[in-house]
Amino acid sequence: MASTNTGITVVDTPAGGCHNHGVPRVVASWARPARLAVAPIGLAVAVNAFLIAAGPGMFTTYAGRSGLAAGLMVAAGLALVLAGLLASLTSRTGPAGDLAVLAGIIWFAPVWVGWELGPPLVRSVGMIAAGFTFPLILYVVLAFPGGRPPTTGTRALAWAVCLEAVLVALGLALFRDPYLDPACWANCTDNVFLVRSLPALVRAVSATDRWFTVTAATTLLAVSAWRLLARRGRARVLLAPIALPAIVFAAAVGAHAIALALIPLEDPANPAFQVIFELQNAAVILLAAGLATDAVMTVVHRRGVARIVASLGEAPAPGSVESALARALGDPELRVAYWLPDVQRYVDAQGRPVDEPAAAPGRLITVLMQQDRRVAVVSHVASLPELEREFGAAIRLGLENERLQAEILFQLGEVRASRARIVQTGDAERRRLERNLHDSAQQRLLALSYDIRLAHASAAAESDDQARLLLEQALADVQAGLGELRELAHGIYPAILTEAGLGPALATLADSAAIPVELDDTVQDRPPEAAETAAYLTVAEAIEDAAGRDAGYAAVTAAYRDGCLTVTVEDDGRSRTSSMTAIADRIGALGGILTVEPTRLGVEIPCG
Amino acid sequence: MRVVVADDVMLTREGIVRLLRDAGVDVVAQADDAEALLREVRKERPDVAVVDIKMPPTHTDEGLIAARTIRADHPEIGVLVLSQYVEPSYALRLIEDHPERVGYLLKDRVFDIATVVDALRRIVDGETVIDPTIVARLLGRRRRTDPLAGLTEREREVLALVAEGFSNRAIAARLFVTERTVEAHVTQILLKLGLAGSPDQHRRVLAVLTFLRA
Repeated sequence: MASTNTGITVVDTPAGGCHNHGVPRVVASWARPARLAVAPIGLAVAVNAFLIAAGPGMFTTYAGRSGLAAGLMVAAGLALVLAGLLASLTSRTGPAGDLAVLAGIIWFAPVWVGWELGPPLVRSVGMIAAGFTFPLILYVVLAFPGGRPPTTGTRALAWAVCLEAVLVALGLALFRDPYLDPACWANCTDNVFLVRSLPALVRAVSATDRWFTVTAATTLLAVSAWRLLARRGRARVLLAPIALPAIVFAAAVGAHAIALALIPLEDPANPAFQVIFELQNAAVILLAAGLATDAVMTVVHRRGVARIVASLGEAPAPGSVESALARALGDPELRVAYWLPDVQRYVDAQGRPVDEPAAAPGRLITVLMQQDRRVAVVSHVASLPELEREFGAAIRLGLENERLQAEILFQLGEVRASRARIVQTGDAERRRLERNLHDSAQQRLLALSYDIRLAHASAAAESDDQARLLLEQALADVQAGLGELRELAHGIYPAILTEAGLGPALATLADSAAIPVELDDTVQDRPPEAAETAAYLTVAEAIEDAAGRDAGYAAVTAAYRDGCLTVTVEDDGRSRTSSMTAIADRIGALGGILTVEPTRLGVEIPCG
Repeated sequence: MRVVVADDVMLTREGIVRLLRDAGVDVVAQADDAEALLREVRKERPDVAVVDIKMPPTHTDEGLIAARTIRADHPEIGVLVLSQYVEPSYALRLIEDHPERVGYLLKDRVFDIATVVDALRRIVDGETVIDPTIVARLLGRRRRTDPLAGLTEREREVLALVAEGFSNRAIAARLFVTERTVEAHVTQILLKLGLAGSPDQHRRVLAVLTFLRA
């Protein structure tokens, strides 16, 4: 099924719907008791370390120098163990949790090294293990929150640091004779793994390790800071409890390596070394707290998602699944997009086209498939990796239903838009006709009337009475024609409506109406042209209708407020029998509402 | 009388010019858009500019805007707007800022060139000219309670002439009565319509038209 390396989880649900959700598959049956057994081991190691520091390691460990140092160290190690356990028991992906537990246990390795007169094997193992705390914590930080380092770059960094730690450990184990090491302080006697003493090689390895550590720590610091800055909103809030301590930890690790380069003989009594030690431990405590909080939140989110079953009612409103998921994950930026294969585009639950959800830093894209068909794509914060596996039957059904609903809403929107286009095309055609009549036919008739007038004048001058009378008749005809043409053009589309707006156009309508028209027009701004035209034609038809029902007058109101054009026409005629379908179609095409009463017509047109 | 004629349609512009020249009007320049019109007006300083209401570029109300510009910039130059629209709104817009020395006539009126020449003369004399068709439509508008019901036949006649922009003297001449009689009629009409405070001759056209439109 899944691949997470691009930040996109594609999950195919086999026919028949839900499967095995709620059962952590990665966790084998033995893993849980094994992990729980680690808790007492970690506690024993911590107690042991504390006893060493208080006794034989008093001068050879940081923890031995002060109560504060001992407390910080024990707290840091135990916190890592606990947080790692919580993470591994609650999260299903990646080894980060187990690695945190390991890091917590070997956090005490420097104390084993400084166990004066302790078992040589323990001291030698401590020497090797101490070098692995940094690589392990680095991996845990980089792997947050997905369980694995998300990019090739971060994976390469994790592996490089790990490999370097192995090489250094091998070099020290096989060739370091503590007795001959001039910089030894915690353990100057024991190395049970020694094969051959090569002091020059060991010095070179140590020096190289220091500068490698500085570089790696700086990189970790930069990566953590950049990740924090690249994320927005909820994703940043989720990352901060890990990234901020990681920055402090990386700075302390780097500072320690630089301090060692400057002062080869490490001395826990030196205040600089002490401060670095305390910083490291404090950072690890905070980091562990962040990991533990995240593990708890994962459980909370998982329960929240599982509980959505109950909150989706019988007929949920479009978008219910999205808001339920957003609430469950505490992620207000969560979006669900539905795939419409017919038109090859994504829409939201309301059927409005949206862009394909894209993965962003700290956000994941989960694709829900149903029988090889894309159903929905969820863009969510990475707090719950493999979100799809948490989906219960209710969410799956809800998403499938919402997709169908979104498809219908989208088609409805398309039909509405096409209706509006048809009306607008018709109006544009009317305007074009009016303008054509005005620009060509009327102008030609005018010119003709002027010519006839000139001919008439010359006929009069020549006392040609017959021609004069004929031309007078022609003039009268042309004038009548002009008048008719003017009324025709005005009837097709009143130019004043385009030029001066609804108010003046309604006033002109009232000037020549067959019945008295009382106008109460408060329209100040210009609504969109389509709305103006619809309102004008509604009033024109309503007045004509009123006159046909022997009304004594018609009262017209027009108002444009809050992006809504409202028009009413009331009259005192007989009750109407017509349902005014032409107006209804026109208003419907604009998404408006027409109210038809026996002697009253109300129209509301949204202009948003 | 010197006039400039502006109309973007060559056919009608030529017709108007020929009719005007035939009637002895001195057409000193022609223009086919508002910009050219304003240029010619500045150059020729005619008595009246005869302007088509629709001109390039948008063919909406360039003529009206040009008319108002001319009236504002050159108070001594009159403007006669020719239009194909029986639209009181346009006429009201034309006279609301500068009510004197302007006129609004329908284009088909031009073939009756005597009326046009008369309108030009009245404009030069400082009168306002409103096309009788527009006044007739406003007077003929159906009303639930007709404010004109209280007027006598003669008073209606006078009211129409007032709305068309005639001065008292011109009305007297048309109706073959004395100017004093006309004055008395006008005072009576304005009183009956509630337009007391009797506006001056120019303003009263606007007042009457606005009243009739309400």
